[in-house]
Amino acid sequence: MNLAEGVQIVSFGILAVMILTAALGVVLLSNIVHSAFLLAGVFLSISGLYLLLNADFVAAAQILIYVGAVNVLILFAIMLVNKQEDFSKIPGSLFRKVATGVVCLGLFALLGTMVLVTPWALDSTSPAVIENTIIALGEHFFSDFLLPFELASVLLLMAMVGAIILARRDLIPEVSETTDTVTTSLTLPERPRELSSIGNVGENN
Amino acid sequence: MNSGIDLQGSFIETLRGFGLSPGLAKTIWLPLPMLLMIIGATVGVLVVVWLERKISAAAQQRIGPEYAGPLGVLQPVADGIKLVFKEDVIPGKSDPWLFTLGPVLVVVPVFLSYLIVPFGQNLNITDLNVGIFLWIALSSIAPIGLLMSGYASNNKYSLLGGLRAAAQSISYEIPLALAVLAIAMMSNSLSTVDIVEQQSGYGILGWNVWRQPVGFIIFWISALAECERLPFDLPEAEEELVAGYQTEYAGMKFALFYLGSYINLVLSALVFAVLYLGGWEFIVPLDHLADWIGVSETTPWLQVLTGSLGIIMTLVKAYFLVFLAILLRWTVPRVRIDQLLDLGWKFLLPVSLANLLLTAALKLAFPVAFGG
Amino acid sequence: MFKVLQQVQEYAKESLQAAKYIGQGLSVTFDHMKRRPVTVQYPYEKLIPSERYRGRIHYEFDKCISCEVCVRVCPINLPVVDWEFDKKAKKKKLKHYSIDFGVCIFCGNCVEYCPTNCLSMTEEYELASYDRHELNYDNVALGRLPYKVTQDPAVIPLRELGYLPKGVMDPHDLPAGSQRPGKRPEELVESMKSEQE
Repeated sequence: MNLAEGVQIVSFGILAVMILTAALGVVLLSNIVHSAFLLAGVFLSISGLYLLLNADFVAAAQILIYVGAVNVLILFAIMLVNKQEDFSKIPGSLFRKVATGVVCLGLFALLGTMVLVTPWALDSTSPAVIENTIIALGEHFFSDFLLPFELASVLLLMAMVGAIILARRDLIPEVSETTDTVTTSLTLPERPRELSSIGNVGENN
Repeated sequence: MNSGIDLQGSFIETLRGFGLSPGLAKTIWLPLPMLLMIIGATVGVLVVVWLERKISAAAQQRIGPEYAGPLGVLQPVADGIKLVFKEDVIPGKSDPWLFTLGPVLVVVPVFLSYLIVPFGQNLNITDLNVGIFLWIALSSIAPIGLLMSGYASNNKYSLLGGLRAAAQSISYEIPLALAVLAIAMMSNSLSTVDIVEQQSGYGILGWNVWRQPVGFIIFWISALAECERLPFDLPEAEEELVAGYQTEYAGMKFALFYLGSYINLVLSALVFAVLYLGGWEFIVPLDHLADWIGVSETTPWLQVLTGSLGIIMTLVKAYFLVFLAILLRWTVPRVRIDQLLDLGWKFLLPVSLANLLLTAALKLAFPVAFGG
Repeated sequence: MFKVLQQVQEYAKESLQAAKYIGQGLSVTFDHMKRRPVTVQYPYEKLIPSERYRGRIHYEFDKCISCEVCVRVCPINLPVVDWEFDKKAKKKKLKHYSIDFGVCIFCGNCVEYCPTNCLSMTEEYELASYDRHELNYDNVALGRLPYKVTQDPAVIPLRELGYLPKGVMDPHDLPAGSQRPGKRPEELVESMKSEQE
């Protein structure tokens, strides 16, 4: 075992422990903000695993998308609606917990069998270190993975259109004047914004 | 292709000459460039802090730091020592773990990003295939740290500052990445060394500024926003938010934030120099000059000369950009948060998309000039 | 279609204009870097206060007749005049007098109205102290005269802008005998005298 292999094994061990503890923390901690931050730890450790697998582009993309975008959005959502609230007692919580445990164990068993069944032993020559992973990825995207790739982009487009429709309030018709008797002097009545044409965008900058 | 000095090779050769095994020699070599980079980055920060104070003073017709060392060059050192000795205050009812982890998460990715900055053909830590993409990815970790410290401080201003920082950071990452993408498209690679190689050969005329004037401006605006420099320093706007996410921090933790923001500025300037100003390239192509005089490329003194000139050129370009940033700081007033997001989403994003499209079209039309 | 093009054109024009203005601003900032610093290196250099400078108040105990005019004209009735009527002499006998400079706004009304001119303004402005009660000056402290900036060997005195010769902006290294533009008070007195004769 030379230096590189030793470093790989040690870092794999560290990353595995980090993933497991952080993932358990995400599920088990009662403070939701701590869970969200630990999720970032899970994502970071997974990108470390990708690095160990020589997938440098995927590792960087993992950090950029999962840590930089998804996790930040989750944190935003938590912090914008962060309302300290105790969990109310639910009747039959024991049964629910047992059911959850059974489902989780089932999933774990499924994954476990998958791990055991899959032939992991690869031919030692075939996973030839790809010189430039980006080019290889691009070739796969535009040949054998073209359909999933395009479907994913359509899905993202749909999500974006949906978000824009939700965010644009000017499609909602004007609320009739009868309702504003409730508004007090301290609250501003929320009016739909006027349609902003392309012409006056320049004034905003 | 692989001209320039090979420090690693010669270092290992020397150690083997002393009778060490190659593996051991390599192990001794490994931490050296990293250590050098960390020290270099810290010294770079000290220089930038001094420059910032001196240039700000000059722009306001003041003198600036004067008594700590000649021309006040030791002032940042004095500031740093003061911060080290200050009490480490953790406010009551805060979240001590997140409060401590926040500054670390802000600083470490920035230091890591120095991995990809090349100062010469072989004068970098690693020449990664994903180079510039790694920088973009790592810089997206910082908002998590900012949110963390903003939340953990248990302070309204901190929370608002943290949220603003994160919002600003993710909005401006997109035009930044698109501007970088146009460059990557032209040089057919994300590696910083390849990007500089692609600009070499024609001296100042070959630099990407001339091919990407729009991308140049977009990148600079987005980089300023990413660094939270003055036209876009809303997360720490002292008139509205006290100091944003740094409000509750003191001592060494505050110093980490301070260090992080200035390292980020230097790093952005360095990356900017690499992407648009030809990295370590001199104003005139040195290879041709050497050929013309009749000196071989492998002559040791020429290699040392080009190597040191490369480092100097990279630093000169980077510090010129830092100078511009400081001048901008005293010229442009701070934007409002809605103006900031308007500029990011409604101006920079479409313009950078159009720039990307134009670059692709030009690359197809003129493969000679825009990288075939 | 044509309208959209026009809108795009206008937008581009506005963006260019904004860029131009930022460029102008940058050139102004850059131009300032060439100018000399206007600052005074304070503990080592000090500006000479002007003639009517309203600094710390000086008070002469012996001149005071305890009339309390200063208290009446003071916006906040600040001076404390502690006197007792001496029945034998049929006169007020002043015991203590004090002004709290932590509260004083240096408006100079007391100086203006003092019938015996026992109050006057000095040019002292360095009143910092570790305790605000130290700023409550009694008649002894009020009677002290401040050091003159021009006589302090540790300080380089600098003239204020209005006292520099015409066209000079930098108070450093002025030639000896250089005067501010216009006539000095003693010259005015001279000319008035010669006019009267």
